[in-house]
Amino acid sequence: MKRRTFLGGVLVVSAPIALPASAEAAGEFAPNVFVRLDDRGRITTTVPTPDCGQGVRTIVGLLVAEELAVGPGDVRLEQAPGDAQRFGWQGVGNSYSARHLTGPIRTAAATARCLLVAAAAGRWGVPVAECTARDGVVRHGRRAVRYRNLVRDAAALDPATVPVALTPRENWRLLGRTGAGRVDAKAIVTGKARYGIDTRPAGTLVAVVSRPQWIGAVVDSVDDSAARAVPGVVAVTTLDPATSGQGGVAVIARSMPEALRGREALRVTWRGGTPDADSRVWSAELESALPAVPAAPGPVSFEAVYRLPLLAHAPMEPTNATAHLTADGLTVWVPTQDPGGLRNVLAGQLGLDPARVRVEVTLAGGAFGGRGDPAPVLEAVACSRVAGAPVSVMWTRDDDMRHDAYRPMSVHRLSAVVDGAGVPTWRAHGIATWPLTLLPFFDNPEVVKANGDHFPYAVPGKVDVVLRPAPVRTGFWRAVYAGHFQYAEENFLSALARRAGLDQVDLRRRLLPADSRLRRVLDAAAARAGAVRSGFTRGVACHDDYGSVIAVIADSSEGRVRKVTAAVDVGPPLHLSGVRAQVEGAVMDAVSTVSGAQITVREGRVVQSSFADYAWARIDRAPDVDVVIVPSDAPVGGLGELAYPPAAAAIASATGQTVTGMPVGVEVG
Amino acid sequence: MVGRYRLHVNGERREVDLPAETPLLWALREQLGLLGPKYGCGVGACGACTSLVDGRAARPCVTTVAEARGSHVTTIEGLSEDGDHPVQRAWLELDVAQCGYCQPGQIMSTVALLAVDPDPDDAAIDAALRDNVCRCGTYTRVRAAVKRAAELKRGER
Repeated sequence: MKRRTFLGGVLVVSAPIALPASAEAAGEFAPNVFVRLDDRGRITTTVPTPDCGQGVRTIVGLLVAEELAVGPGDVRLEQAPGDAQRFGWQGVGNSYSARHLTGPIRTAAATARCLLVAAAAGRWGVPVAECTARDGVVRHGRRAVRYRNLVRDAAALDPATVPVALTPRENWRLLGRTGAGRVDAKAIVTGKARYGIDTRPAGTLVAVVSRPQWIGAVVDSVDDSAARAVPGVVAVTTLDPATSGQGGVAVIARSMPEALRGREALRVTWRGGTPDADSRVWSAELESALPAVPAAPGPVSFEAVYRLPLLAHAPMEPTNATAHLTADGLTVWVPTQDPGGLRNVLAGQLGLDPARVRVEVTLAGGAFGGRGDPAPVLEAVACSRVAGAPVSVMWTRDDDMRHDAYRPMSVHRLSAVVDGAGVPTWRAHGIATWPLTLLPFFDNPEVVKANGDHFPYAVPGKVDVVLRPAPVRTGFWRAVYAGHFQYAEENFLSALARRAGLDQVDLRRRLLPADSRLRRVLDAAAARAGAVRSGFTRGVACHDDYGSVIAVIADSSEGRVRKVTAAVDVGPPLHLSGVRAQVEGAVMDAVSTVSGAQITVREGRVVQSSFADYAWARIDRAPDVDVVIVPSDAPVGGLGELAYPPAAAAIASATGQTVTGMPVGVEVG
Repeated sequence: MVGRYRLHVNGERREVDLPAETPLLWALREQLGLLGPKYGCGVGACGACTSLVDGRAARPCVTTVAEARGSHVTTIEGLSEDGDHPVQRAWLELDVAQCGYCQPGQIMSTVALLAVDPDPDDAAIDAALRDNVCRCGTYTRVRAAVKRAAELKRGER
């Protein structure tokens, strides 16, 4: 598939993703929206959800190849546009990719296989049960016919008349077995992978936006005379925060450097907002809003307070969106985490029939919860309307760091009653935090509690959440509120163990049911990690969420985490390298956020503006990560977020310092 | 002031007509259609655009076209025809990438490292790749892949 051509020096990028199967074309067998085969032997699957690095394209390809009994290289992948009516929920969130899609995709591919087999059996006049499908061929005794020669017959069958049998797990050849890598790996290492930033239709202009100089500021006055005089600048337009994201002044130009030069020449004054905002004050306000400690059944012997900071998503690909608004409708190209939802938002906001809104999905250079915000797309739509051309809105790194929807700050107070051995017999956890401004559904303490509270240990107690109005935009960040709650809970448990001189693993084992999945992975992690080496400090934490369980053991020496051992039960692992990758990645998020990365606000502004000051960990801080995959019969579980909360807690505990928040040993806020 | 700047990009002579202070990154991406070098920060702080300028790892986002005049520039696209450079092969073997956005930069930094140090230890890898940020957290595999690439480059199997 040739995606790039050059016309007169202008880079032209065709839509990177082909249309999904329409109806049955001649010589094509498309039993459902996910899988189709043609009489040239091509097998095509439509990946309904975006790949942001979590590997859903790889998983979908493997699921289809497994159920169609072909090799993984035999399946071509197409990326679905936003269309929730056809594809169902297309969001990447709540670690849903594998657990949400495994059933529908397996069923879709198995349906195709069963229809192909039924077509062959019908042709030969033999029972279906005597036929087998393998390597793209249906066989019966010595007879064999390729799928491509069955396509027409299969398409003529009524799917309702053919029973569908999934391939039993014990017969899987690829899922959980293949050592093959990510499906897009070759494109990535050759520089051919295409992300949002790389996707520009012919004639696309580039816009950068002068954004509020402090939180909540709105444009007061604009002098754009110098900006308009910059060569290459095509238009300057003020974005209305009511309809175009966060507001600001967009400079639209022929190229990125011209747009940046235009933005530098803009003179904008701002008013309103909170020019005095300070994140240290926000943290103190949350602390004073903590709920009262409930009546305890005995003397509270230990109490601790933990303060957590703002965190930015800071994906490597800065936020961007490309839109082309015409009289016929709207097309956008965007590295989104929710194309189906985005399409509905755009249609609603613009008063368009959803059928006239096309959302093309590119690869996303990371997401971590931050690419569900429609605001950047609305900016691009507003710019396209003004320019009468397709426009790519590019957020600079500075924009991305300073205008994110951040992970909320939180403050936690934990209290415990312990028995004579120091084992907790009652607990209380009070949390003061903010809702998620991107999704009003979360403006409810019970919803926040349900999302965050996954305390797995047999200690009765009470969890109370107080929500204060968010003073800055907030959104989903890997593990969402579980990242706050479990960090506090596990650090508190670690502190209790230290006070009583109890072994971290033993205390947790004691508090977990003997036959639980969580105890099995804890035992597996402990066995793999072995004894603590001399000079090392160990931290331990567990997590049960998304239908999966994990135990993490971190070993530190000389102020650095050196080794992380994780045992994970995700039900059947689908792509082994991908399972390990999700844990390895979450461990680096944990290293980063425990050791120093945080967003701070002073005088109304986010201080950090790039990776020069958002202290994300580099390769020299990377520990060895050993991932043990513990097999189980549980259904497919989620993994994208699972490892972050326990890894952060274990790494914090392994510092050996008294943990009072995140980052450890650094002022929060 | 727009000037004409001659570059040698991936073995071909190319010319761009741009203001002198234009970052090389945008010349590569928007004028020459080389989309492998990624925009990540624009201030030389993330390494996503890392390419070779006269054989050394450079940051095209903070290198102007005037500074690059006459230079030999190699982007990820110029490394091999089909991904068979030893560093690319090592990256595939160890399935390093997650989202993949930073990987062209990680790979180009590694190519530059191996050109001067055919058998880098951990400290040398840390020093050479410290300014290549990966937000997905692929560092442990990057480290392993650098060592594997060194073996492949030395002709070891």
